[in-house]
Amino acid sequence: MRPFLLEGGSVSQMPVAEGKNVQQTVELLTRKLEMLGAEKQGTFCVDCETYHTAASTLGSQGQAGKLMYVMHNSEYPLSCFALFENGPCLVADTNFDVLMVKLKGFFQSAKASKIETRGTRYQYCDFLVKVGTVTMGPSARGISVEVEYGPCVVASDCWSLLLEFLQSFLGSHTPGAPTVFGNRHDAVYSPADTMVQYMELFNKIRKQQQVPVAGIR
Amino acid sequence: MMPGTVFRSVLDHSLESLIHRLRGLCDNMEPETFLDHEMVFLLKGQQASPFVLRARRSMDRAGAPWHLRYLGQPEMGDKNRHALVRNCVDIATSENLTDFLMEMGFRMDHEFVARGHLFRKGIMKIVVYKIFRILTPGNTDNTEALSLSYLVELSVVAPAGQDVVSDDMRNFAEQLKPLVHLEKIDPKRLM
Repeated sequence: MRPFLLEGGSVSQMPVAEGKNVQQTVELLTRKLEMLGAEKQGTFCVDCETYHTAASTLGSQGQAGKLMYVMHNSEYPLSCFALFENGPCLVADTNFDVLMVKLKGFFQSAKASKIETRGTRYQYCDFLVKVGTVTMGPSARGISVEVEYGPCVVASDCWSLLLEFLQSFLGSHTPGAPTVFGNRHDAVYSPADTMVQYMELFNKIRKQQQVPVAGIR
Repeated sequence: MMPGTVFRSVLDHSLESLIHRLRGLCDNMEPETFLDHEMVFLLKGQQASPFVLRARRSMDRAGAPWHLRYLGQPEMGDKNRHALVRNCVDIATSENLTDFLMEMGFRMDHEFVARGHLFRKGIMKIVVYKIFRILTPGNTDNTEALSLSYLVELSVVAPAGQDVVSDDMRNFAEQLKPLVHLEKIDPKRLM
């Protein structure tokens, strides 16, 4: 399995009415997929909550505050993923969310930072494509495209195939190889690798300016 | 989730009799033995007491998930209750648990190896085990027994509010006498 993510950065920054362009782009992508022959297969959702070390813990630990991300993926409904940027990704069952409630004196949720992507799943032969609208609160902030090639578990073995498939419906927006692979080209792919990519995508989107509203109505 | 727990110990030479009686009293299942390595982690903050988490892995079952457990303070409520009751959260995790806990700021306080037998009767779990001290940190092959006894632990994990459970535990404990007298631990005696 080898997911890949693309964020329509250049598209979401176009100066039109907030939200409208994101939806149009999503519709354009999904129409292209349907023309290729992909079949709709339900919906998906990936969400991410950010926690930071509480000030009271920082003093005694003597370390800079770190951000911890707790994520969920509807593809793995019984799991919870917890990760640090450039750090380990823990795969746990959903009781981890209960533990975070117990830990609230030590780790605080940055409330406004919850981010998620929701959309439709498409199956095209051995490829699974998920096109989602990334939202923070009520505002749409970007688009995520995830592509999985089912039969293969080693990243480097199928990257060219994935690239070709991506080009067939993303055209010039096809990106380069994800950084999560680094020098681990021969490693077996795992769900944690997908979550790291989503975390990087969400962080990138968070840092971008919101789509400005054009003119005053 | 609230486990009710009662503890006692039995000397090595009485182990066989106890196991024999437990086989008779408990659910009919293949006798299950275990060899686990447990590490206790603390997170210190400005709060009076550090946050404690227990990470446990099986040493004899390859591929089993790691087990992370949070145990709350014992409930001081009803003195007539026959078992110690605590809030508990159990989480199955991937193998990189210790690295992750360290990244969160936890530090290992102590570790030990537990070897023993596991029995079940309905929702009750009975564990008879010996604790081994790890002589060199991180080296689970070099251990020494902490005492000449086996610890006997009777516990139940149930949704909060089910007090009826501790009566079942007391009734079961009665059946283990005189081999072992299971009693509720007074948490203050442990401090």
